[in-house]
Amino acid sequence: MIELKNITKKFGKTTAVHNLNLEIEKGTITMFIGPSGCGKTTTLKMINRLIEPTSGDILINNQSVVDMEAVKLRRSIGYVIQETGLFPHFTVYDNIAVVPRLLKWDENKIKERIEELLDLVTLDTSYAQKYPLQLSGGERQRVGLARALAANPEVLLMDEPFGAIDPINRLKLHDSFLEIQEEIKKTIIFVTHDINEAIKLGEKIAIMDNGELVQYDEVNEILQNPENEFVENLLGRDRSLKALALEKTKNFVIQDGFLTAGLNEDQETLREKIRNSQSEHAFILDERGRLKGRKTLQMSKRTGKFELVHDSDPVVVDRNNNLIEALSKMLESGEHQLPVVNSKGKFVGVVNLSSIFAEVTEAETKKEVKGAQV
Amino acid sequence: MEKILAYIAKNQYLVFTATWQHWYLFAVSTLFAILIGLFIGIFVTGEGREKIGRLVLTITGAAQAVPSIAVVALVFIFVGIGFTPAIIALIIYSLVPIVFNTTSGLLSISAKLIEAARGIGLTNSQILWKIKLPIAIPVIMAGIRSAATINIGTATVAAVIGGGGLGDLIFTGLRLQRTEIILIGTFLAAIIAILVDTLIALLEKVVTPKGLHISR
Repeated sequence: MIELKNITKKFGKTTAVHNLNLEIEKGTITMFIGPSGCGKTTTLKMINRLIEPTSGDILINNQSVVDMEAVKLRRSIGYVIQETGLFPHFTVYDNIAVVPRLLKWDENKIKERIEELLDLVTLDTSYAQKYPLQLSGGERQRVGLARALAANPEVLLMDEPFGAIDPINRLKLHDSFLEIQEEIKKTIIFVTHDINEAIKLGEKIAIMDNGELVQYDEVNEILQNPENEFVENLLGRDRSLKALALEKTKNFVIQDGFLTAGLNEDQETLREKIRNSQSEHAFILDERGRLKGRKTLQMSKRTGKFELVHDSDPVVVDRNNNLIEALSKMLESGEHQLPVVNSKGKFVGVVNLSSIFAEVTEAETKKEVKGAQV
Repeated sequence: MEKILAYIAKNQYLVFTATWQHWYLFAVSTLFAILIGLFIGIFVTGEGREKIGRLVLTITGAAQAVPSIAVVALVFIFVGIGFTPAIIALIIYSLVPIVFNTTSGLLSISAKLIEAARGIGLTNSQILWKIKLPIAIPVIMAGIRSAATINIGTATVAAVIGGGGLGDLIFTGLRLQRTEIILIGTFLAAIIAILVDTLIALLEKVVTPKGLHISR
């Protein structure tokens, strides 16, 4: 657990952080968000003493950070910044090995640990001998995360780590970051200026403005009961839509209302099956249940007859995608039903536009009811 | 050509001594310039001294425009003539590019990178030796290289204040109006310059970390 007690930081005459009190639970992701200059990064850096507070105290597991030697403290806390934080003259291997070597680990143990970490951040072991300049932005960010996790710290501080990554890769990184956190369960403090990122990744969000804590709560609590106008503006007008980011597709998977077929299913039988059903298509699965394509019954312009059209690479939703991502995939592909797969490509069911719509309507009603009570 | 060979044959000892002296002037002054220059460059870019670093950059940037003969003349005024003043003049003159490049190389490393290093628990000296110097080494080496080659040229001018070396030959040739002596001096200085430049270029390649000049 991390406790910030009456933390104040002044730079000359300006107060960057004013009397901040915050308790961060073990094993959770807490997002610090606010406009630039609100004090979020300053607060983060006070935890590993890159910046010393003017007054107040910070406790990690009831021990004051001021009592610890700064260098030792930092080696016990993971620190991730934008991809630029990798040392360009070190290989991926040497970058990850920095902290274990500072801690004088045995080289064999370091080697094992690095293989384990590369696997965790889904990078092939062949990446170990590459240099940062040879990697893409997303790959660098994975290495940065691996480096921060190298000595297995309990606490991880992340300062806008995905800020320089393009939107598409950022979404991918978000998904794998959440998957990694499911495995490692670290206490993570994550600074961002992107509200969507905060909603997607955070369990709790601390909203700051002008060096003060405006609201600190669980994500859906903030979405449903914003403290004041500032928070409302930060969340934007589409709060009910944003709330969809909290819902995972896996909770909305439906097991009926669709057809499946094996790879070797007879075309004629399949056509009849589709004609006699409510749907226009069937999902093709291999013997291990992995989605291999989709066959749709379409009227051929040439012959005027109904024919099966095979799509070997249909749009799919990952079961860990949130509803916003599922919805945008539906809108982009023009489908009202999409197949859902797990991380190994196995078909687990479908998600329907109508269920997402129902979720939004429900959230709206909840908000109105709460509003009426006030 | 014949005249040149004849002169060398007759004055073997003189030519050899001048070349050796020249080499000695160059080597000693460059070595000191590197040591002092690195020290100054590292010092003025230390933690919290970035402002001094930028000031030094401005000063050394401008100082590169000062002609070598002016430095030699100034040293003559304050220190006098002889071998030591010549060495001093050479050190001062070749310090400039080394300090300039070391400072600019170290200052150009992104503050984010240094913060990352500090944030994961490197001490100040570890940051200097493991991060800053290896990354700045190509720029520092370029400074040393240009200082060294310029230094060989400047060493000929140092003959004016009694430094000896190939400058002695050149000035003798000028005084006696004997082209072959001038040519011998110039030619030998040029050979040393090319040799030194090639050597340092090789060294530059060896010491530059692989990750810095690699591409995707």
